[in-house]
Amino acid sequence: MSIISIRFVQLTLLCSMLFITSCKTVLAPEYDKAIVESVSVTSQKTMSFVASVSNGVTQETFKNREPIYNYLIGAFDALKLQARARPVPRNVATKQINKLLKIKGHTTVKDEYYPSAFAFQKIAETLTKMKDTDRSKGIKPFAVEAFKGQIEIFLDQAITYESFLKR
Amino acid sequence: MDEKVVNLITEIKNVASLILEKDISSVRGFSERQVEAIAKQTIIIQKGVENGDIDKELKEFFLDGLEAMTTNFVNTLKGILSATIETVWNAIIDVLWKVIDSTVK
Repeated sequence: MSIISIRFVQLTLLCSMLFITSCKTVLAPEYDKAIVESVSVTSQKTMSFVASVSNGVTQETFKNREPIYNYLIGAFDALKLQARARPVPRNVATKQINKLLKIKGHTTVKDEYYPSAFAFQKIAETLTKMKDTDRSKGIKPFAVEAFKGQIEIFLDQAITYESFLKR
Repeated sequence: MDEKVVNLITEIKNVASLILEKDISSVRGFSERQVEAIAKQTIIIQKGVENGDIDKELKEFFLDGLEAMTTNFVNTLKGILSATIETVWNAIIDVLWKVIDSTVK
């Protein structure tokens, strides 16, 4: 085989390699260890706080709890911002997935949508509602249980999604 | 079929299966937890409304919450699906890349 032929084969292989490596895709945002660690700490504090009021509370003692509410609401708002701050992958594959979802009659995946950011926002809203209710009329046991359930479900969604991004 | 092609197909299948088995088992656990938790949440709201612990205003808030958590449950599954497809796709590309790389060497 002549030198020109060998060079041609090598060039072709190199081009193939470049083509295949460029085929690597990014469909989901980057894993962020800081978010996962922060969720872990904040969720522990939230669950401890909710457990401390599980028998119900009266508005007379609200002032004692106000700083904890403020801290937790701020923490989840910050997590929402952190989760949304990552660049969102936009590519052909996402468009194809959306095409398939549309054909099946399902809602599509919005490029800018993060399930964890939405969950953090909902947890902050839940704690804000809990705080307002506590201040105005106190919270009865079943209402505490419902607030707790709502927070737990959104937390599970956020933690599961964020953990899945580690790939 | 050429032995090399058969080996390559097997390798691609193994890589994809390994990722999918692991991810599907995690997704199954998450789905079961969520469905159970959403069902329990519905019963808690119902009991709270019945005994008066949850008034009309709170009831509206929790019902909106149920809707939002159900929607986000589905969107979380979609997000997980995207991450899984990405992992499988890139793992297959890695297998192909290794084959070409070994040919060059």
